[in-house]
Amino acid sequence: MLFAQLFINGLQTGALYALIAAGFSLIFGMTRIFHAAHGATFTIAGYIFYECYSVLHINWIVAALAAAIAASLFGVLIDRVIYARIQKHEGSFFTVFVASFGMAIVVQNLIAMIFDRGAVTVSTPLSKSLEMLPGLYVAPIAAVVVLCALIFFMALQWLLTQTNLGIALRALGENPTLVEVYGLTPRLLSQYVFLIGSILVVPAAILTAATSGLNPAMGNHVMLISIAATIVGGVGSLRGAAMAGLILGMAENLCLAVIDPQWSEAVTFVILFLFILFRPGGVYGRAIVT
Amino acid sequence: MKKFILGLTLAQAAWALPAVAADYAIGAIFPMSGPNAEYGQVFGTGVDLAVEHINADKKLSGKLTVIYEDSQALPAQGVTAATKLVNVSKVPFALSAFTGVSKAVAAVGQRTKTVMANGGGVGPDLATLGEYFWNTIPLANFEVRVMAPFLVKDKGLKRVAMIYVDDPLGQSLLTELSTEVKAAGGEMVGTFSIPTTAQQFSGIAARVRDTKPDVVYVASYGNQQVQLVKQLRDNAITQPIASYSAFSTPSIASLPEAKGVYFSGQQLNLTRDDPLTKRVVADYKAKYNKEPGAYVVNYYNAVLTFAELAAALEKAGKPVTGENLLAQRKATKSFEFVGATVSFADDGTVKAPIQINEIVGDGTTRVVFAPK
Repeated sequence: MLFAQLFINGLQTGALYALIAAGFSLIFGMTRIFHAAHGATFTIAGYIFYECYSVLHINWIVAALAAAIAASLFGVLIDRVIYARIQKHEGSFFTVFVASFGMAIVVQNLIAMIFDRGAVTVSTPLSKSLEMLPGLYVAPIAAVVVLCALIFFMALQWLLTQTNLGIALRALGENPTLVEVYGLTPRLLSQYVFLIGSILVVPAAILTAATSGLNPAMGNHVMLISIAATIVGGVGSLRGAAMAGLILGMAENLCLAVIDPQWSEAVTFVILFLFILFRPGGVYGRAIVT
Repeated sequence: MKKFILGLTLAQAAWALPAVAADYAIGAIFPMSGPNAEYGQVFGTGVDLAVEHINADKKLSGKLTVIYEDSQALPAQGVTAATKLVNVSKVPFALSAFTGVSKAVAAVGQRTKTVMANGGGVGPDLATLGEYFWNTIPLANFEVRVMAPFLVKDKGLKRVAMIYVDDPLGQSLLTELSTEVKAAGGEMVGTFSIPTTAQQFSGIAARVRDTKPDVVYVASYGNQQVQLVKQLRDNAITQPIASYSAFSTPSIASLPEAKGVYFSGQQLNLTRDDPLTKRVVADYKAKYNKEPGAYVVNYYNAVLTFAELAAALEKAGKPVTGENLLAQRKATKSFEFVGATVSFADDGTVKAPIQINEIVGDGTTRVVFAPK
C-alpha cells in the first residue's frame, strides 16, 4: 500500500511540477530568454491569491483572476520594460539573464517586506486527505491538480497548433527573422509569450499555496524544478516539459519506498545528469536549439 | 574656487574621521533573507529595543549601534559576514544565530578574540565552541530532556517517530531524543532525515504513517517547519506533533494545522516584578502589540550583557575589546536579565528552566508543563 500511496503522491507532485515548468519552457523555447524571474511570477501569483482569498475573504474565482492579472502584468512588464530595452541596446543573453536574476531577488525582498518573511498557507478542506482504501489516503486537491494540468496543457496545445497566434509563436521560436519577413513583430509576439507563460504558472501557484504553503523565497525552488524539467523534457518542447515534470515528481516520491527521504531531492539531479549525458535532446529527443 | 575646493577637501576629511572612541558598534549576523528570514526579523526586534534602551539610559559613554549582516542562515555566508564585521567594522562583539552558522562563525571569533553571542541557535554542541562563544539561550539537549519524559510518561506517547533536518542541529537532536526517549521508557519507531531545502512532504507523511507512531517529533525550522506541519496534517497524520523552541514563531502559531502541537522552550517569567522586565514588556507591547517571546528576550539580554560589560570596562578605564569583555564576564557573578537573574556557566552558556507549550490555534500558545 505504501507504493500505491507514493504513486498517487507522485502523480500530484508531478502534475504540479509540469504546470510549473510549462511556463518557463514556453518562454525559453519561444524567446530564448532565460527568464530567471519566472519563480518570482509564481510567488507573486501565490501571494496575491493568498491575500485576496485568505486575508480579504474574496471569492476564490475573483482571487484567482486577480492572481492571473498580477502574474501576467508582471511577466509582460518585465519583458517590455527590462528585456526589450536590454535587447535593443545590446541583446546579450548573459545581460538579460543577470537582469532577470536581479529582478527575482528584488521581488523576493519586496514580497518579504509587504507580506512578512514567514510562510503562509491557504486553508481549504480540499487539501485534507480521505482514506480511500485501508492505508491509502488521497486529498481531493490531488484530482484538482491533475485535472488542472490536463486542461491547461490541452488548451495550450490547441492554442499553439490551431490558432494563428500559436503558429506565429512557434515561428518565433524557430526563426524570429523570418517572422519579420512575414510582417509580424517579434517584440509583440514576445509579449504574448510572456503573457501566456505567466498565466500558466498561476494554477500551480494557487495549488501550491493550498497544498504546501508559500514563502517569499520559494521562487528558487520553482526555478530549480523549471530548469530541470526543461532540460529533461528537451528545450523548447512543451510536451517534453510536462512529461519531465511528471517524471521528476513521480521519481521524487517513489524513491521514498527504497531510500531515505534525505536523498529524494537528489534523485531529481541524478535524472537530470543522466539525461544530459545520455539523452541531451530530452524525453522526446528534440534537438537542443542553440 | 580654490576656497571652495579647499572647503570640500576639509569637509571630506572631517567626514572620513573615525567615530569618537566612546561610540560602540556591535555586529549581528542574522538571516535577513531566504526561508529563515522570519527569525532574523524577530531577533532584530529584541536587539533594536535593547539598543534603544541602552542609548536612552546613557549606559555607555557613547552611542551604541548595531551593524546587521545577512547570513541567510547559511554557514558560508555567516563566515563572510563575521569576517567583514571583525576586519572591516572592527566590532569586539557580534550576535549570531542558527546552529550551523554559529559553529562556523565561532572559529572566526576564537581566532580574532571577538565575542560571538548566540540567542537563537540551540544545537547542544554550541556549548563547546570555545571561550569567545557565548549562549544566552539554553541549548536543545536541555529541551529534549524535558520533552521526552513529558511525552512518554505524562502523555503515554511511547512510540516516537522523528523527522529531522539533515544538518548539525538535526543530527544533535536525533542523538539526544533517541537517548532520552529510551531512558523514559519509550521507543523510536522511525527516523526520517530531510534536506534543509525540501518543500514536499506528502511522501514522508506516508512513510511516517507506516510506522504507526503515537507522536511525531519534528526537528526543523523556518518556513520548512510550517510546510511540514501543514502537509503532515493534510496527509492524515492525526497523532500529536512535538518539537523544540524553533516553533515559537508567529507563522507557526497562526497556522491552523499546528493547533495542539507541543513545543519546548525556556521558561520566561515576564510577570517578574523588576523594573527591567516591566519596561521591556511594556515597551515591546507598545511597539509591536504583543508580548516579547523567548528569542526577543534572549537577544535583548545578549545586547544588555555587552552593555553591562562595556560599562564596567569603561569604569575601570580599560578598552572594550573581546579579550577584556571575556575577562569581565568571568569576573561578573550574575546578570540582571529580563525575566531572571542569571549567570553564565563555565562553557559560556546561560542555564534556564524549560517549559512545554501548546499551540492554541488562534496565534497564541499556552504552557502545559512548567518545572516546579
